[in-house]
Amino acid sequence: MDLKTKLSVLSDSAKYDASCSSSGSSRSNKKNGVGNAARNGICHSWSEDGRCISLLKILYTNKCIYDCAYCVNRASNDRQRASFTPEEVVKLTINFYRRNYIEGLFLSSAVEKNPNYTMEQLLTTAKKLREEHKFNGYIHLKAIPGADSSLIRQAGTYADRMSVNIELPSNKGLQKLAPGKKKEDILKPMNMIGSKIVEHKKNKKKYKNTPQFVPAGQSTQLIVGATPEPDYQILRLSESLYQKMNLKRVYYSAYVPVNQSSNLPAIPTPPLLREHRLYQADWLLRFYGFSANELLNEKNPELDLDFDPKLDWALRNLDIFPVEINKASYDLLLRIPGIGVRSAKKIISARQEKALKYRDLKKIGPALNRAKFFITCRGKYYGEFAFEPNSLREKLKHKLGKQDKYQQLSLF
Amino acid sequence: MLYFIYDGSFPGLLTAIYEAFYSDNFPEGIFREKNFTDNLFSITKKIETNQNKADKVYDAIRNKISNYTLRTIYYCYLSELDEIEIDLVYYLKLGFKEGAKINKYHSNNQVKKIISARKKVSREAHRMKGLLRFQTLKNGVYYGPMEPDYNIIEILARHFAKRLSDQDWIIHDLSRDIAAIYNQQQWALTPLKETEIEISNTEQEYQDLWKEFFDNIAIENRKNLKLQQQNMPKKYWKHLIEKND
Repeated sequence: MDLKTKLSVLSDSAKYDASCSSSGSSRSNKKNGVGNAARNGICHSWSEDGRCISLLKILYTNKCIYDCAYCVNRASNDRQRASFTPEEVVKLTINFYRRNYIEGLFLSSAVEKNPNYTMEQLLTTAKKLREEHKFNGYIHLKAIPGADSSLIRQAGTYADRMSVNIELPSNKGLQKLAPGKKKEDILKPMNMIGSKIVEHKKNKKKYKNTPQFVPAGQSTQLIVGATPEPDYQILRLSESLYQKMNLKRVYYSAYVPVNQSSNLPAIPTPPLLREHRLYQADWLLRFYGFSANELLNEKNPELDLDFDPKLDWALRNLDIFPVEINKASYDLLLRIPGIGVRSAKKIISARQEKALKYRDLKKIGPALNRAKFFITCRGKYYGEFAFEPNSLREKLKHKLGKQDKYQQLSLF
Repeated sequence: MLYFIYDGSFPGLLTAIYEAFYSDNFPEGIFREKNFTDNLFSITKKIETNQNKADKVYDAIRNKISNYTLRTIYYCYLSELDEIEIDLVYYLKLGFKEGAKINKYHSNNQVKKIISARKKVSREAHRMKGLLRFQTLKNGVYYGPMEPDYNIIEILARHFAKRLSDQDWIIHDLSRDIAAIYNQQQWALTPLKETEIEISNTEQEYQDLWKEFFDNIAIENRKNLKLQQQNMPKKYWKHLIEKND
């Protein structure tokens, strides 16, 4: 099989992984080397689904021993199969990089033969890139569940980011749809990578020349909508992954119906709006000081599809609003619908010059179409209708319903 | 109406700013030589670029305001926006009075104008760090053409001198007829008109591979061309290997 056909098969198989981020690492170029990593990440193109292309995202192989019901590469699917060699992946990566098509490589894989064999191939490829070709661009490697921890540890010394995909957000879902995989096999490498990252950070404080270990952190992916877990359960899982496993990112991937099975829900299109709401809630967990329990609970376990999670939260907690924009602390500003991290910071600095008027606030640029119902500015309220806790939700639904047509975020 | 005319260089702009602060007559506007069209009522004063004066302004901005402001002035210069020069003078007046904290005045019109010009330039430079495409020529050089809105070539050259330090490359701004040429040691700017290029024998293979990847990585069920175009405006497609046929 020629290289072009392989690339076609193995990029097509890799596309369901949501992650393509190239941020978080500032690996610098070395003498006679090629490439460096940009701390903020760089997008190089956007595919027809609107997602950013930053990395050469491919599978090493799509020959799989497992038969996970949701997966396009499941063993029982009749599908063209291919495997790269390490040399081929290196050739593509270096030549694409030198032409500025990509920030680096995202190498994932199906499990061919056994987990150790597969992990060895990924490791060999990364090692070749770093040592033989002095490549200092971004590398994201999958840790293959079930592979020896020594292999995964070695891979971590070459990679900028590593990830293990949990895919199904509960043990039950896993048993039903991925009978070949065990929860322990997934959590073990995550735990190991997490604790090595922490250990590395400690060592780095003591010894300046500590070699890097997964400097951009680890991430995972959850499939949304293939199994019946509610958003509350998913967010609780993400929260504990951030807190206990030190994860950098959790990606949510709306289930795309690629297979037919009695175990799978029959849905015509992927639940994109639900995925979008989960990302919004995820942001609230990581940057806005919210906890999963504030956003959802057992009685109310699904995110509202009409309102973004912060607006929905505010409407359930109207007793703290309206907030005076010239007095509120940073933490409180962040809780106002329509005010994000950037606007909150700008408001705090702009207040050093003078007390802000409503028109000053317009220049700073928060989403006032939502924010104005929850704030006062020099004591004055600027919402079109009076602040009445009983009717605000209905009125806003009517007003925002027209403009808040679903927009996909470009977070990847 | 008094207008200052400078040669279009960065030291030239700094000299003009110096003159605006120290001469008796405050100018109505400051223009590049090639952008200025005379009218009946204009009195013009030609500003001779003076490195000494330019250095004084440079140091004063750095010491009395901040490095951030210095970079802001440079990026605004690269924006080549109409009348940005005189706006810079107003912004600096406020800056010399208030110091580094002016950049926090997000509701101040003078400051907002300047910061938003800076943003336009840095946003396009960041975008182009991703969208520039090199192709290999017969002589082994990697050639990257572009037509950016702002004059961002120096920012890109610094980026790629670090990143692609072991290959010869040329970044060519076709709208301004200038190029940054790098020889694995250092880069330099030079005037360069659009010319015929001869691509290497292996180049087509990689362009085809890249297109193959690009077409396969999109998920059919999530197709969203509007979002694609919003992130990657059409004006940049001409030089994108994956988008230009």
